[in-house]
Amino acid sequence: MSKTVIPFGPQHPVLPEPLHLKLVMQDEIIVDAIPAIGYVHRGLEKLTETKEFTQNTFVVERVCGICSCMHALAYCQGIESLMNIEIPDRAKYLRVLWAELHRIHSHLLWLGLLADAFGFESLFMQVWRNREKVMDIMEETAGSRVIISVNTVGGTRRDISKEMLTKISVIVDEIKEDLKQVEAAFFNDYTVKHRLVGVGVLTKEDAYALGTAGPMARASGIKQDLRMTGYSAYGELDFEPIIEQDGDSYARTVVRLKEVYQSINLIKQCIAKMPEGEIVVPVKGNPNGEVVSRVEQPRGEVLYYLRANGSKTLDRLRIRTPTFANIPALLHMLPGSQLADVPVLILTIDPCISCTER
Amino acid sequence: MIENMTEIAISQLLSETQKMKYEDYRFVTASCVSLGDDGCDVIYHFDKDLEMKHLKLRVGKGEELPSVSKIYFCALLVENEMKELFGINITDIAVDYGGHMLLSDEELESPMAKQQITIVEKKGAK
Amino acid sequence: MVNRSEVKSMFDMIGNIFKNLGSKPATRMYPFEKREAFKDARGQLGGIDIDACIFCGICARKCPSDAIVVNKAEKSWEVDRFKCVVCSVCTEVCPKKCLFMSENYTDAAYTKEKAKHVQQPKSTDNGEQASA
Repeated sequence: MSKTVIPFGPQHPVLPEPLHLKLVMQDEIIVDAIPAIGYVHRGLEKLTETKEFTQNTFVVERVCGICSCMHALAYCQGIESLMNIEIPDRAKYLRVLWAELHRIHSHLLWLGLLADAFGFESLFMQVWRNREKVMDIMEETAGSRVIISVNTVGGTRRDISKEMLTKISVIVDEIKEDLKQVEAAFFNDYTVKHRLVGVGVLTKEDAYALGTAGPMARASGIKQDLRMTGYSAYGELDFEPIIEQDGDSYARTVVRLKEVYQSINLIKQCIAKMPEGEIVVPVKGNPNGEVVSRVEQPRGEVLYYLRANGSKTLDRLRIRTPTFANIPALLHMLPGSQLADVPVLILTIDPCISCTER
Repeated sequence: MIENMTEIAISQLLSETQKMKYEDYRFVTASCVSLGDDGCDVIYHFDKDLEMKHLKLRVGKGEELPSVSKIYFCALLVENEMKELFGINITDIAVDYGGHMLLSDEELESPMAKQQITIVEKKGAK
Repeated sequence: MVNRSEVKSMFDMIGNIFKNLGSKPATRMYPFEKREAFKDARGQLGGIDIDACIFCGICARKCPSDAIVVNKAEKSWEVDRFKCVVCSVCTEVCPKKCLFMSENYTDAAYTKEKAKHVQQPKSTDNGEQASA
């Protein structure tokens, strides 16, 4: 049978990410997929070599818009462990609070995009309406909607007042109530299930061998959540990673939706346990040595490898983002699936190409 | 300092990686640091139950480095990246983009490597 | 066959329809109705109180995007708003606290102009502004 090659992306109606795939097709079935990236490579890793280590927080935040807060968190944690800085407890809790807000807004964004990918416009708007509340909290507490620049080496740059904490707690409760209704559409709707159940199955063994990260791995039954290592204040909070066994697109949706509830729960715990005190410690001297710092982002684990030489600038700042780890899994899932499922499949890895290329 | 870091030679890389695979470690990524004329430091990161292990080796200028993508398929992206950005000669990558994964034709070669950059004007470019 | 959960979700839906009929839209009619900016929002680098400036250049050195140029000899302070990433580091490090943030976002512009402020020697009216 003859084979056809269909180019998919980098401009595609359902996918806002500049990912190009060459799909080798046999009728409607994909036989092979070759990815091509490189449309948004900005050389940020190179740029960090010319900036001071304190300025780099702002550079790494711009690796990715959606998980900007966690990029800065991972970087600051790395530098702090190099310089043996113990940050105040309140800063740890504030970092977790903002990180979890980021996770909520990232997952809600993704759920909306998924609904949009299989053509459920109204669901998409319902989800994004809730996301807007989170964005408003972000703007009110941190000053910006997306790139919130709250983390700095030695603590956080802003504090949250007691009234604001109460307000956040009320708003996340509202989001929880609203999501309960939307949840039914994702979990039980016949059409939605038809598009997701059994599509792009990734077995536990494959997921492990392909080095997947985050919700992708957890949907395939791998208990891999870096928050379990207890960085920042996670060690003092009570949570259990959400794991599904099926490894299909439906399982990945369920994991992400349940993680929104988990994040809401973590935020409420954070607010309840928030200690009083300073939010930042002064930083003196320059970092020296090398360190690996890992943080759980909405999309999975991010790895920062830092090498400093005792001067103001770093020798090397290397970022391994979760999408980078999930693309091999995508290549594994695509062969054998239908052309119509490709947008959903690509979306379920929650791709962030600007993360991948940096 | 990084815990669980083992320094190895290039010739040991494939056997050590195979051992990692056998011990059920997950490949996380590889990092590369340019040392100028001395070549590059390459560090392979592995993970098992949230515990990390690292293999560190030094690649001299022009030396060949075997690819681990036959053992861990997911290493292909990062190896292509290292080949492109640092100019390390990595052989036998499962899918070799030939230096065009991130960069296009017009860009500088191996931009992350610390080296003297000379811009040669191409003939007929004007 | 209609099962119980479907009946329940149908009632939810009817409830939602009435709720949506009675409630206001979640969006705003934007150009006519604008939301007040939040207090302390990082909208843009508002400007400089040029008479208080001592031209130490700390803001220019700490700026992560090299958007600020300070010239001590000329007594001038210049910001390229198209380079500025609105991180507000300059306002934090300023020893004289003469830089300030504005809560409103920058308007769209047709040309890439830089805002240059020059301190006038012993001038009577303060705050000169000229675009370079």
